[in-house]
Amino acid sequence: MRLDTTALGTFHEMAREGAGIAAGRLTGIAEVEARVGITKLNFVRGNEIRKELAAGGEKVAVRVELSGAIEGHSMVVFDADSARRVLETLLGEEFDDTAPAVADGEDAAVDATGTDAGADAAAPAEFDELSQSAMEEVGQIINSGFVDGWADVLETAIDMTTPQFVQGTDPEPFLDGIDTTPGEEDMAIMFRSQIEAVGEAIGFTHYLFPDHDDFADLLDRLRETEGIEYDKLVGFDRMAQRGAEEVADNISTMTGFDTEIELRRLNFVPMAAIPQELGNRQLIAVAFEFEGTPSGYLVFCFEEESAATVVEGMLPSAPDDAFGEMGQSAIKELSNIMASGFLDGWANVLDTNIDHTPPEYSHDLGAAVMDPIVLQFGDSQEFAFVFDTHVQAAERGFDVEIYAIPDEDDLERALSQLDVDRIDDEPIEADFPIDEA
Amino acid sequence: MKTYGSEPGAPTPQQVQVGISEFVVTDADTTLKSYGLGSCLAVALYDDQAEVGGLAHVMLPSGDEAGSEPTNPGKFADTAIRALLRRMVEEGATYTDVEAKISGGSDMFEFESFGEGVGIRNVEAAKAELEKLGVPLVAEDVGGKKGRTVEFNATTGVLTITVADGEVDDGEGAGVTEL
Repeated sequence: MRLDTTALGTFHEMAREGAGIAAGRLTGIAEVEARVGITKLNFVRGNEIRKELAAGGEKVAVRVELSGAIEGHSMVVFDADSARRVLETLLGEEFDDTAPAVADGEDAAVDATGTDAGADAAAPAEFDELSQSAMEEVGQIINSGFVDGWADVLETAIDMTTPQFVQGTDPEPFLDGIDTTPGEEDMAIMFRSQIEAVGEAIGFTHYLFPDHDDFADLLDRLRETEGIEYDKLVGFDRMAQRGAEEVADNISTMTGFDTEIELRRLNFVPMAAIPQELGNRQLIAVAFEFEGTPSGYLVFCFEEESAATVVEGMLPSAPDDAFGEMGQSAIKELSNIMASGFLDGWANVLDTNIDHTPPEYSHDLGAAVMDPIVLQFGDSQEFAFVFDTHVQAAERGFDVEIYAIPDEDDLERALSQLDVDRIDDEPIEADFPIDEA
Repeated sequence: MKTYGSEPGAPTPQQVQVGISEFVVTDADTTLKSYGLGSCLAVALYDDQAEVGGLAHVMLPSGDEAGSEPTNPGKFADTAIRALLRRMVEEGATYTDVEAKISGGSDMFEFESFGEGVGIRNVEAAKAELEKLGVPLVAEDVGGKKGRTVEFNATTGVLTITVADGEVDDGEGAGVTEL
């Protein structure tokens, strides 16, 4: 089974089209304006899907079985907070927020600010019949939106069964009875979409577990170039892992902070979505251009508070202005070392050489920092593989987001040359949770 | 351009976000907003008699140079301006009454590979296209090394630009400007 960026681009189009249809239908039934947020394709291992379903407390899902052009299962998963927001929006006063399902209902307003209070909820609570059937309806709308979107893009027909409501705090009920889920070490492609309604983000993850042979046929049909062997995607995973580990080590060495890798993920996104994701947040960004196999850009983004924490951690005494000359130079120095570590991690996995430029510093809106980089890819590349990594030192209130955007042809070449057997000899150490975006 | 998720008959929102490579035309009392412009350029066109306006969030200078007819005209300064103007006339604007304002086109980084700066090239391409079409450019806030967020009132033609309050190397400082 081989894949290329044309096939992945079509998958992205399917996901976006599906999310658009789903948002349109939600607007229709809920009488609120729903719009599509960022849609991404993720590459993950089977065991990470299980970890993801296990992380972050109670979840609610609606799944259907597909037949026709794509055989397999389609499942929409909400965390309990998102489900609660959906129900509040849909049912209004009918939504009984004193029911056990929302025993911490008073916190819901706080949850809407993005804190992960749902994870602290006590034993999983039951959703009442009305809530279940409302969730089924929403899940059905989203599933069928996706399925209709794919059918449009593929110009074919896909049938689906009636929806099945699932809830739980571990992966078992969600994956039970689905024989097409990827094995522990198998790579899977996952769709991740967000729909925003009434100014609140209703995030959900959409999983497609296609039948392997079907999926291989589909990839072959969509592919326009030689592409790369599907199994080599494991190289992506290893690059992301080694890069993140190097960065976490570098930060600990330079600042004495106790760091952990909070998230590492490989996304396949349209170029234009990259600045959008960083949005209107005021950030300290340090950018590098790297050259070799692959070439591209690497950007470290710190919230202002985190950057100030780094400055304090690195300098003998805190300067008056954390972002003055001394502070900037400390942040650039740390970023420079992190960049070397990150890219060395990649070079080791890929068995190549990668050099990088000196750091470029900017203190500005996230989107404004990223758009010049996206522009450098010009009209030649519509999509990018973005390595998205968060490293944090929770006790110190520090975190850094790292975005690596390699040139797609370079990356494809590097992966094609990759000896998968060789990297399988490398120590496997992927034991950290993957949180929702 | 295709608007995902919109249904006929849905109420018109008060504020519409215009993302990278998108353009939106409206004759309603709506604010069009593009946030975090770095090297990208916001092109605002309006006819204050007909109360029709539009905003494009362009990414690259020239679609004509990119060769064949681009599938996404909103991506390039030249093709976006033409598409915006055409759509506005369809919505009731009078070609000769249309005026333009632009903002953005910074050069945030100084990598060697960035050359003379894509931000500046976006500004130049937009000006050249406006001149070719005979649309007067009545105001601009472009260039420098800072990010901008713009809000455009399509019926009055007021373009509000907000600059981040971060450290700005060239001393341009933070603040809100109305064009």
